[in-house]
Amino acid sequence: MIATPLNPRYFQILLALSKEALHGYGIQRAVLEQTDEGMHLWPATLYRSLAALEEGGLIEQSETPVGEPEDERRQYYVLTSEGRRRLKTEAELMARWVAEARAGGS
Amino acid sequence: MSGPGRDRWFRLLLSLFPPGFRRRRGPEMERLYRDMYEARTGGRDRPGLGFWLALTWDAGRGALGEWMALGGSVLRAWTGGGEAWAAVGTDVRFAVRQAWRQPLHSFLIVLLMAVGIAGNAAVFRVFNGLFLRPLPFDQAHELVDLDETAPQWNLEYVGVSIMDFRDWQRENETLQGMAAYSTGGANLARDGRGERVDYLAVTHTMDDVLGLDALHGRFFTEEEDSPDAPPVALLSPAFWEQSFGSDPGVVGRDVSMDGRSVQVIGVLPHKARFLGEADLWLPLREDDRSSYYLSVIGRLRPGVSVEQARADLTAVHEARAEVRSENEVTSPTVQSLRERYLGEHRVGGGLLLSAVAVVLLIACGNIAGLMFARSIARRREMRVRAALGAGRGRLVRQLLTESAVLALAGASAGTILGLWSSERLVRVVAERAPAWVTFDLDAHVLLFMVGATAGAALLFGLLPALRTSRVDAAGMGGPRSTSPSGVRRAISALVTAEVALAVALLVVSGLTVLDLFRLHAVAPGYRTEGVITYRLELPDERYPEREDRRAFMESYLDRLEAIAGVDEAALASTLPLSGHSGWFFEVEGSEIPPMDNAVVLRRWVTPSYGDALDVRLVRGRWIEQSDNREGQPPVAVVNEAFVRTHVPEGTEPVGVRIRTGGEDAPWSTIVGVAADVRHYGVDREMRPGTYEPLRWNPQPFIQVALTTSGEPAPVLSAARSVTQATDPELPLFDVRTMRERLDETLSARRATTWLIVTFSAVALLLAMAGIYGMISYSVSQRTREISIRMAMGARMAGVMREVVGRGMGLVGLGAVVGLALARVGAGVVSSLLVGVRPDTPSVYAVVTALVLGVAVLANYLPARRASRLDPMETLRGE
Repeated sequence: MIATPLNPRYFQILLALSKEALHGYGIQRAVLEQTDEGMHLWPATLYRSLAALEEGGLIEQSETPVGEPEDERRQYYVLTSEGRRRLKTEAELMARWVAEARAGGS
Repeated sequence: MSGPGRDRWFRLLLSLFPPGFRRRRGPEMERLYRDMYEARTGGRDRPGLGFWLALTWDAGRGALGEWMALGGSVLRAWTGGGEAWAAVGTDVRFAVRQAWRQPLHSFLIVLLMAVGIAGNAAVFRVFNGLFLRPLPFDQAHELVDLDETAPQWNLEYVGVSIMDFRDWQRENETLQGMAAYSTGGANLARDGRGERVDYLAVTHTMDDVLGLDALHGRFFTEEEDSPDAPPVALLSPAFWEQSFGSDPGVVGRDVSMDGRSVQVIGVLPHKARFLGEADLWLPLREDDRSSYYLSVIGRLRPGVSVEQARADLTAVHEARAEVRSENEVTSPTVQSLRERYLGEHRVGGGLLLSAVAVVLLIACGNIAGLMFARSIARRREMRVRAALGAGRGRLVRQLLTESAVLALAGASAGTILGLWSSERLVRVVAERAPAWVTFDLDAHVLLFMVGATAGAALLFGLLPALRTSRVDAAGMGGPRSTSPSGVRRAISALVTAEVALAVALLVVSGLTVLDLFRLHAVAPGYRTEGVITYRLELPDERYPEREDRRAFMESYLDRLEAIAGVDEAALASTLPLSGHSGWFFEVEGSEIPPMDNAVVLRRWVTPSYGDALDVRLVRGRWIEQSDNREGQPPVAVVNEAFVRTHVPEGTEPVGVRIRTGGEDAPWSTIVGVAADVRHYGVDREMRPGTYEPLRWNPQPFIQVALTTSGEPAPVLSAARSVTQATDPELPLFDVRTMRERLDETLSARRATTWLIVTFSAVALLLAMAGIYGMISYSVSQRTREISIRMAMGARMAGVMREVVGRGMGLVGLGAVVGLALARVGAGVVSSLLVGVRPDTPSVYAVVTALVLGVAVLANYLPARRASRLDPMETLRGE
């Protein structure tokens, strides 16, 4: 069971995987891009997060997508349906906070 | 970091993780790392330090997290989860808070621990690779080295003769299999140019004995061991990659070696490096030469011990003595592979390991001192806790947790520091160690680091914890500002022990340094500066007859001498530091049969050799040009060792006739005696030897020495073109200056020595820091007393004398104990010392003076502070 609210790293990884299946380097690049270079997931951090997310049932390993070169060490990951659901509730939670923060700040 | 070194670093980082995580995620992480590396550099440049630091930080943090998660779940399983675990958590949190509250104290402890652990991590990694890690073969403990020894010939190992190999193979009952190999070099012709390759010739049994599977193709068959079989070869993986671009299609192709066509039948597995770096493996063509040159590996039958195999082979060997008279002189040796190839380094490795252990012990001593001092400050806290109902066990646990937290922090920093700094050490050692030795991190290293850290934490934590927790809740309050004498005694004992250990280590390192200096000062007996050396091999195909080789040598030597910048040029069968060729000599008129004499190093040289290498002539004359003419009687120059071992005492050696090779061989007349040279290295004794005219025995293997008073590089390139012009397919190999050859013989010794010196310097520094800390502490505890005494008229000098005197008393006691320890330690390592006796008094004296001198300083500084106290100020403050 992965605690709510999601650790920002986990959230960014789920967000990256919500668009397409990615391998380690792909996830690293996508997260960098999503966060305007703000979050650099170095190998140990990234793979420890992936291990936790996999164990929590939010992501799973997948086949190499069609058209990508086969490399047995390049493992691709996708969201599970649970993961997709979780990303959505997490986003809604954040949206609510954002709304509250805006209301309070004005 | 560059080349394969950079990938090694990442793999090293990966090895920090628990095995389960590493297995599941390691390959992917490495893939990611490579992607990142390549993206950063485009595959050309190397990324900056920032990249490596971030990578290391990330991996270190991640590995620690994984281990802690693993440890947590194990602990939960043991304790059934719940309360006990929660209590540990509370202790840890409290310990961390305590550590934060005393930042200087904690920092010092972490620093000391890091210094102590770093050296251990670095040295143990190397020690593990050399002595503990199993060889990369199935049932590796069954593999043994077989050789022959001949003390009578003054040789520890002579190699195995092919005839003995066959006898042993046929008749032994203790071995599953035996395989023989020998090394060699050949000229490989590619695109019209010669390339020098090293090969191993092995019997077809080698794949069975070692359990090797060819990477491609197949291994040798029994028929291919026969001299008439068509020549075949296996490629090493490195050579296959570098020369054939890892093309599997090379199997079945022909290559031209020494003018013959050889078919490639396969590619060796990586494990094959075990026997030595070689580009190719060829079948060992068994001829009936009786000379001893084979290396042999055997595989014991299950359950058979090395001793049983030795007894078995000795019986087989002795039974053959009736047929082969040599068998009376030689006898088989059987030992584990590791013992044979690394046994001589065991003492040095053990010494280094002891040195780092001493550093760690001293660091622990200092930490314990800090903890003791701190325990005074915490007496109040402990009393309060005890009064509130904490049992002694609970207090000890709390205090030990505090030590453990600090130890862990220090050890983590130390391990990373140590492994990082060991990269260089590993490179130096790997160059000289057999190819099968690897230094990857493994469970041994991890266990050792965990053990050393836990041991250290207990060592410096337990005693202070027991002391501090011994409180009487009822006796709260008590007199202030006097330190309990027990604590002072404990710290004094620690300091004394530290000084003793530091002194012992310093003496041993002083002995090795002196030994190294003496070895550097040894005159080798030949010119070492401005001498370029290299080798050539004249292939049988193009130089089949002696005449052909003689003609080559004469014109080649003339051309070399004509090179601008060359002062002298000489050819020889064996140059100093470049090999051995053992023969038995008979002296005319002597009753002693040649095989009973010590073995003689025989060298064939050109007349220019003596001048070129500046070998001193003791009597008679050197080999001259006229000795080379046809029809002249054979002559020889012998060395002083030869005169000692072969010529009857009192006989004038010049004029004595000697011969080798039996009844029909011609006699050679000794015309001169040359001084002994350090042919085998400055740390090795010289054997009896001869110099004979190369012209009489123009061998296919030639070694060349060129002397120059100028820059070596242009001379070498001129020599290359001269060689090209004489024979375009002839490669120069083993090109080095004589100075380089000499330095290499001492490089392992030098590395060990400087490491020990570094460790003992650190040990001294730490011990002195301990003294300084102790005196400062005791002065700070006694400010009141000192102030009163000074207020009552005590002199400054008197106070200082008293403070310094007390410190020096402890140092003196430590030094005496240390000197005794050192004498014992020096005896243990005496096998490492060549030119220095383990009881050399000057070393002991210098170390004692050094330690006392530094100790005076360490005592003086706090004492001076004490003497400058303003009595009124202090007393008013009370």
